[in-house]
Amino acid sequence: MVFFCAFASAQNDSIVSTVNDTLKVQLKYGLRVGGDIGKLVRSFVDDDYSGFEVSADYRLKPKLYLAGELGFEEKNTVTDYLDITSKGSYIKAGIDYNMYQNWLDMDNMIYTGFRLAASSFSHNLNSYNIYNTDQFWAPQYSVSEGRSFDGLTAVWAELILGIKAELFNNLYLGLNVQLKMSVTETEPDNFENVYIPGFHKTYDSSGIGVGYGYTISYRIPLYKKVKE
Amino acid sequence: MKKLSLLILLAILTAHTGCERDDICPGSTPTTPHLIIDVFDFENQESKKNIFNLVVAKGTESTILPGYAFESKNNLVLPLDTKANTTQYRLIKNAKVNDNGTPDDTSDDVIEGNYDVLTINYSREEIYVSRACGYKTIFQNVTLTIEDDGDNWILSQQALNPNQSVEDETTTHFNIYH
Repeated sequence: MVFFCAFASAQNDSIVSTVNDTLKVQLKYGLRVGGDIGKLVRSFVDDDYSGFEVSADYRLKPKLYLAGELGFEEKNTVTDYLDITSKGSYIKAGIDYNMYQNWLDMDNMIYTGFRLAASSFSHNLNSYNIYNTDQFWAPQYSVSEGRSFDGLTAVWAELILGIKAELFNNLYLGLNVQLKMSVTETEPDNFENVYIPGFHKTYDSSGIGVGYGYTISYRIPLYKKVKE
Repeated sequence: MKKLSLLILLAILTAHTGCERDDICPGSTPTTPHLIIDVFDFENQESKKNIFNLVVAKGTESTILPGYAFESKNNLVLPLDTKANTTQYRLIKNAKVNDNGTPDDTSDDVIEGNYDVLTINYSREEIYVSRACGYKTIFQNVTLTIEDDGDNWILSQQALNPNQSVEDETTTHFNIYH
């Protein structure tokens, strides 16, 4: 607002000729840390899910951020024939690029991001029933003693589209959607990775996964630089 | 950039809705297989021969296998029990219904005819199919035994392969001769 007034008064004063030099906007640089409140809420609401994710980004250039996430998820997948608990942790690292042209010193983002992500996880097959189209000898064989598949890993790449809005000074609310492309995963013996922590549900037809995030984050300001 | 963003969003949305079919096990997916038996003429072992008025019943019970009530067949497709290592059927040739003199009352009806007891022994293995279908059972070292009752109409049987397994329904597994 001070700049507006200065600008306005400067325009009124026709003698001053170097108007542009008075408009020096400073950008904040620092480490922004946050958590996914969407996953937190879902952990309370959804009996079959618990998970949390912390995220951080660091501003490298006015529009470029180094970004990463660290998370944990546990998910039950229950169908008529399978009852599976998948759990594990994941890490994601990459960049965010702000596509939004901010007005003066405002600091909001509409961004695209790229991540490389890896997960270490396990499944517990709690129970299963044999699938049979013919029910003449029903019920079918069912197994209820657990069987575990440990030491599994997965690597994938991720495209992110999101927004981050500064609600109060240094406090941000963010929303993003993620498109994941599987690179490699350990195939369990006589089983399948139906859910990968961080990657979420897998699909038979493709190596594509989807996700969303609802984050709150706080920027720890370290230094300021003049906006060019 | 705006166009690119829209494209990505569209890709995400279609990826999500396009894959819901993963939740239903499609009928075309091979799951737990049936035992397939071809029926041949004992006198002329190259030619198929119908069994007339065939009834196939479960073990020692009177439950009739659907599709096998007084039918003419030269090909049997029998489900195997996935809970046990043995499945037993009674095959009744030229079956007749004895209504015990009460044609209107079906509760005391008895199926009569020459029956042979077919015992199928096997070992089982559970194989993962998909998230929608879960696991299927395949059967290995399958053997057919026709219990000797002194009046057998099934005269012999033969597996098509050594250590016959029943893993799919693409080919016949056994031949029987009568």
